[in-house]
Amino acid sequence: MDRSYLAKRLLHALIIAWGVMTASFFLMRIGPHSPADKYLATLGAGHNVSQVTAAIESRYGVDRPLYEQYFNYINSLLHGDWGWSFSTSMPVSDLIKIHWAYSFQLIFLSSILAIILGISLGIFTAARKNTKADHIATFFSFAGISIPNFWLGMMLILIFSVKLGWFKTYYDTGLPMFSLSNLYALILPVITLATGMVAGYGRFVRSSMLENMNKDFVRTARAKGLPESVVLRKHVFRNALLPVVTIIMLDMSGIIFGGAYITEFIFGIPGLGWMSLKAVFSDDYSVVMAVTLIGAFVTLFFNLVADIAYTYLDPRIRYE
Amino acid sequence: MKLAAYYLERLKGNKTAIIGLAFIIFLVLTALIGPFFTVSPTQVNFSEKNLPPIGFSSEQSEYSAKVGGLVMTNMHGTWKHPLGTDGMGRDLLSQLISGARVSLLVGLLATGLAIVIGAIIGVSSAYFGGIADSILMRFTDIMITFPFLLLLILIVYMFGSSLALIILSIGLTGWTGTARLVRSETLSLRTRDFVIASKALGASDLRIIFYHLLPNTISSIIVLATLSIPGAILAEAALSFIGLGDPQVASWGNILNAGQNDLQAAWWIAVEPGIMLFFTVISFNFLGEGLRDAFDPKGDYN
Repeated sequence: MDRSYLAKRLLHALIIAWGVMTASFFLMRIGPHSPADKYLATLGAGHNVSQVTAAIESRYGVDRPLYEQYFNYINSLLHGDWGWSFSTSMPVSDLIKIHWAYSFQLIFLSSILAIILGISLGIFTAARKNTKADHIATFFSFAGISIPNFWLGMMLILIFSVKLGWFKTYYDTGLPMFSLSNLYALILPVITLATGMVAGYGRFVRSSMLENMNKDFVRTARAKGLPESVVLRKHVFRNALLPVVTIIMLDMSGIIFGGAYITEFIFGIPGLGWMSLKAVFSDDYSVVMAVTLIGAFVTLFFNLVADIAYTYLDPRIRYE
Repeated sequence: MKLAAYYLERLKGNKTAIIGLAFIIFLVLTALIGPFFTVSPTQVNFSEKNLPPIGFSSEQSEYSAKVGGLVMTNMHGTWKHPLGTDGMGRDLLSQLISGARVSLLVGLLATGLAIVIGAIIGVSSAYFGGIADSILMRFTDIMITFPFLLLLILIVYMFGSSLALIILSIGLTGWTGTARLVRSETLSLRTRDFVIASKALGASDLRIIFYHLLPNTISSIIVLATLSIPGAILAEAALSFIGLGDPQVASWGNILNAGQNDLQAAWWIAVEPGIMLFFTVISFNFLGEGLRDAFDPKGDYN
């Protein structure tokens, strides 16, 4: 692979990472939340307000010049210091260590399921283009893309938990993570998160396959008498896979982060989204910001991987 | 106008797009004239709480002074509240109509704002090129890197959750797709003969941008706008659903939020706004895909 391309791509990612941190710093500064407000709200009468405010502001460094605050902020982020959580009285980094695994298991299982089912659905419908099966599958893909996942989650709870009683109506955090009962408890959340992804990937794989179906190399493969299944598998699908890899990587951000956030809320799974929402309601600023930043950094990472994977899989692509 | 008629003719051949369009028109009409025919969505009446929709019945526990405790009574839907009532006895039909107003307002205004910002950034980036292009595109990259919903939650948490602010934040964060699309389309238009000729005749940058570049990207923008509306509607609904919406308005997300705690006693509160959201989103998706096919000159061969 081209060395200079890789270097440029990494530099590009570093610039964006810097931009993300800078944007978050300014969002924090223009926001109406000062660390002193929270303490003052919990303090009773009889305190010297201006003294307390000054003490807290100096403790948090808010009284320093702006450029110094900025460098301190970036510096502490880079050293893994993500601030202090007021509502739980522990460093945000410790809080993340407690909660990340719950988000990870949900996102990991849903992605695996969605990739397998989505790609199968795409191949199945592309091979049967414009048949009745294709039309029905296309209709369900549209439905899957359009159904709001928070509503889908609630309907699953209503039908399978409330009416049929097959599952608990909430996620049981007492279960050991690597156990069948935990896997069973994750069935409804995974369906909630994966439905939109399956439908989206399915439609994307289908159109990517169809684009390749009329290419010369496919005609050649057919002309030399290869069976249709081999043509589809080795010639059409291999080439259709490339954009699919990218879209799945890029998708890791929007649908997964937003979707996982909401899914955790519906089922009470104590992941990062649940943690962030709890922090919103207990007015715990640094936690909300940390989760947003983690979302941005993970997105950035996957975008970088997607780009590099793309050039690796298709040597024709070069920067600019 | 002839061209518009031609595209409309092509759109008519697409059954799902027409169904989508019909539902959207129905929704707009309901949102406009519905409130004149229904009771106020905020009118509380505890003697009529948790009434099921017409055709359904449900067991509700109720305090009875005669027994001195809770008794189970079988409630039936009434014509006064055709879609039932919520836990505070508010009429669900009028709440859904109010929700339709909110959703359409969010969808149209937020998308409109996002499209305008995105088109301006995209076209300037491609037309001026060089350092302006680099700066604008890196800025777009940074915006794209923040997951949409997380950024919205952060903004609403920091600046409050009035409906106007939610619309503004969705518009201010949702323009990145348009910017990239308009930029790539403009890049290929910029070197075309009619643009070069216009430049040679001494046309100003603004004239070239507004008379030659933007009008030629309009069909892609219309498709993207139609397909972006559901995203904006769902973003507002998701915010309201997790409890960060405007508490002053009856939006579909707010009703769903309330219904989540009443799944056992009153399933219809959670079911009805979801159906409306689902139909609205799928209608815009159908229409958007239909428009894309209608605008695509290659469409005839497929």
